[in-house]
Amino acid sequence: MRIAVGILVLLLGPALAHAHPPWQDATENRTLVITAPAAPGGGWDQTARAIQRVLVEIEPGVSVQVDNVPGAAGTIGLSRFIQSERGNPGALMVTGLVMVSGVIINGSPVSLADTTPIALLTGEYEVIVVPASSRFRSLADLIDAFKKDPGSVSWGGGSAGGTDDLLVRLLAEQIGLPASSVNYIAFAGGGAALAAVLGGQLSAAVSGYAEFAGQIAAGQLRVLAISSATRVGGIDAPTLRESGVALDLANWRAIVAPPGLSDAEQEALTARITKVATSPQWRSTLARNGWADQFLTGPPLRQFLLSEQSRIEDVLRRLSAAETRSPATLSLTLTPASLPNAVAAIFLGTLALTLFRITRQSPVVERQGLRMTGAIVAALLILPMVFVTIGFVASSTLIFAIAATALRARQLSARTIAIDLFVGAAFSMALFLLFTRGLGVTLPGFL
Amino acid sequence: MNELLAGFAVALTPANLMWGLVGTTLGTAVGVLPGIGPALTVALLLPITYGLDPTAALIMFAGIYYGAMYGGSTTSILLNTPGESATIVTALDGHQMARNGRGGAALATAAIGSFVAGTLATVALTITAPLMVKLALAFGSAEYFALMVLAFVMVTTMLGESRLKGWLSLLLGLTLGFIGIDGLSGRARFTFGIPYLLDGIDPVIVAIGLFAIGETLWVASRGPLIDDVLPVRGSLMMTAEEWRRSWKPWLRGTVIGFPLGALPAGGAELPTLMSYAIEKRLSRRPHEFGRGAIEAVAGPEAANNASAAGTLVPLLTLGLPTTATAAVLLAAFQQFGLQPGPLLFEQESALVWGVIASLYIGNAMLLVLNLPLVGLWVKLLSIPRPWLYGGILVVASLGAFSVHRSAGDLVVMAVIGIIGFLLRMIGAPVAPVMIGLILGPAAEQHLRRALSISQGDWTVFVTHPLSASLLAVAAAIVGWGILRRPRTGLESSHEVK
Repeated sequence: MRIAVGILVLLLGPALAHAHPPWQDATENRTLVITAPAAPGGGWDQTARAIQRVLVEIEPGVSVQVDNVPGAAGTIGLSRFIQSERGNPGALMVTGLVMVSGVIINGSPVSLADTTPIALLTGEYEVIVVPASSRFRSLADLIDAFKKDPGSVSWGGGSAGGTDDLLVRLLAEQIGLPASSVNYIAFAGGGAALAAVLGGQLSAAVSGYAEFAGQIAAGQLRVLAISSATRVGGIDAPTLRESGVALDLANWRAIVAPPGLSDAEQEALTARITKVATSPQWRSTLARNGWADQFLTGPPLRQFLLSEQSRIEDVLRRLSAAETRSPATLSLTLTPASLPNAVAAIFLGTLALTLFRITRQSPVVERQGLRMTGAIVAALLILPMVFVTIGFVASSTLIFAIAATALRARQLSARTIAIDLFVGAAFSMALFLLFTRGLGVTLPGFL
Repeated sequence: MNELLAGFAVALTPANLMWGLVGTTLGTAVGVLPGIGPALTVALLLPITYGLDPTAALIMFAGIYYGAMYGGSTTSILLNTPGESATIVTALDGHQMARNGRGGAALATAAIGSFVAGTLATVALTITAPLMVKLALAFGSAEYFALMVLAFVMVTTMLGESRLKGWLSLLLGLTLGFIGIDGLSGRARFTFGIPYLLDGIDPVIVAIGLFAIGETLWVASRGPLIDDVLPVRGSLMMTAEEWRRSWKPWLRGTVIGFPLGALPAGGAELPTLMSYAIEKRLSRRPHEFGRGAIEAVAGPEAANNASAAGTLVPLLTLGLPTTATAAVLLAAFQQFGLQPGPLLFEQESALVWGVIASLYIGNAMLLVLNLPLVGLWVKLLSIPRPWLYGGILVVASLGAFSVHRSAGDLVVMAVIGIIGFLLRMIGAPVAPVMIGLILGPAAEQHLRRALSISQGDWTVFVTHPLSASLLAVAAAIVGWGILRRPRTGLESSHEVK
């Protein structure tokens, strides 16, 4: 399986790598493209769209597009941005804390240092919560138990390497414990950890305040600490510093430009973003989303990015060093690789057994049917390569006609091929218009 | 009860009624058309519903699910090609009834039975869901893991003609599910250094590949297509005799379908088969079965609709999909940032109850859509098959592309489609691939979370009474499967979609 997939992907690699959609081109200054290196709906996407909304309002006539390039904690978007937008003064990208750790964890060859930082925009603070019935009344109680037996305190939060994970690891190092001693249990997000902490299966949960706000207000959760430097209005919780832990951390978001810009171009972009970040529209956006204003540009911004980079790099490096140093002591301990390898091995075994049994039966497929299937398979494998280059309508017409022709088999003539092509073109055109004009989905095409 | 009334207030707004109607109409259409099922349709619509209000989108999806259960019977009866795995059994006697000139009555007993069973089962859903929520709050990682093990065991034991092939499909899904970054450790697994694979294989793309592409290739491999659509003959009115013979099978079908749908047993195939077998045993004229017995249409049709409502119980209360369609519905919830489970009822009460209320309304809509308007749906069957499958390929590639606007997804769709075709060729069921792909990563995470919380102590799975009993049931099923003789009887798993 592994090898087969590997070979296949090698063969089809060029199609996968064909990343930048050629139907988008933005070099004019009146046109800005903001890359959101995440799927629609997340924090980076929301930030990009908020900037888009405000820019369009305060600069009449400007056209701003948001381009979602999701994947691998934003590192796929980052490498695409650096490679294909170099020197483009009309390109921006939203980024944040999670990309800093994503670059390290995914071993990305490019990092934020390869971009041109423009401005730090927003931040969301983290809270440490316990169920209302918990024996931990304060952060000091929790830290005492944590110091006594680190493994006995289970921390829940979002995915590994995310802000929640980083906060607990940094906290551990701050109170003199190794980052690797943390019994951190990753969930899909703070919301997903909620059920586990309410059910008493976790000692404590960590996430952005907004994720827990409802349960905190309802009295089901107690906030032990907030990760801001000073107290935040409206949240009744001491800071980590007040509880004697010299640490603050925000899930910050920033905007960067591609490398290779002239000083004048950099300054122009900084001025535009400054105008956005000081506008009343931006203030109300911040209030609505519960984002703290962390606006910063120029040398202080570079300083901030460097210090974040180094503290995160340090903690993650010590963490992975500790993991490689102490291999699984007991054979029953699960590592991230043990289950996948076991399951894949059993799968291959089952496959071999099934194939062995089948070869002893007589084949049931007729030759004509196989030819028809083969034609459609070939069309499907060519499709990804032509889809974005010749456009949706042309490629869809082709695949429609090939499939229809293959299925006709006996009653095939030049006339049926012409009719199939015509019907396919009409159908594809109708779908294209429905999706692009009616439903607002962008498709590759030349209309 | 108050919550249900509030749900009706949500479902009865003009916009939501409209989405419900769109869903039920689309659902009936895809149920009628061979080759496209509800799983595929919901998957195709996911990318374009992103901007929609989640309640409206989910009401539409639920309508598609219920609608497909109704529409499938039309194809089975008139064409003898089940449009849906759930209606394979209906084809046996329904098509014979159509040949005997009682096609109208067969369609009527299917539609009315679907309505009766759908409504009763939705009542059962309304009553059991809040109870399940209370139970689900006691579920920790150990319990969830045990429940998923049970689901894996049931799905492989109950579906398809051989357990080996069931396991093959499930293990394939599990292996695919491991691809990408591990959520617990942040490590990349099975990615072979390809950045595209870091985010894993999207279940929606897999659903499109397995169902749309796989089915098209399978149809193509069977040689040129020959259609034989029977015209609707005979009045749509059932005779008094037919009513008398139908009502008991409807109720029995409901009683069989709902609990079996709620169990992780892989959908409507098992309940419809069981209903058929029970009706045959109870009937005073078992010799008519296979030659056009109306009980053999009424019972299984009721059972498949009741099982659709049953499927929603574990999906909504535990986040546990038991069929391919439920798996795609789960992806739909997640697209909107909603995680089905006990907390959903608390946090999104209006949405959950709005969707449940829309099921009552949808059933009424479907009765109207399917009885007086059945002639309209039959016309859909006159689309030439080469164009139908050509169109399916176009819509499938459009759907797969618009999920992430990535040509790489088209490659994955094609590869999974070929795999789906090969599975059909060797007679392996396809649904376990989806179940494994979606539940596999969740099961692994729950396993490792449970072990983290217990600090590596494996006994948590047997010391927790709930997880111990779930695992005991799973073990019993495996044991029973080994002792039992190889299964015989209806082996139509090729049509599973």
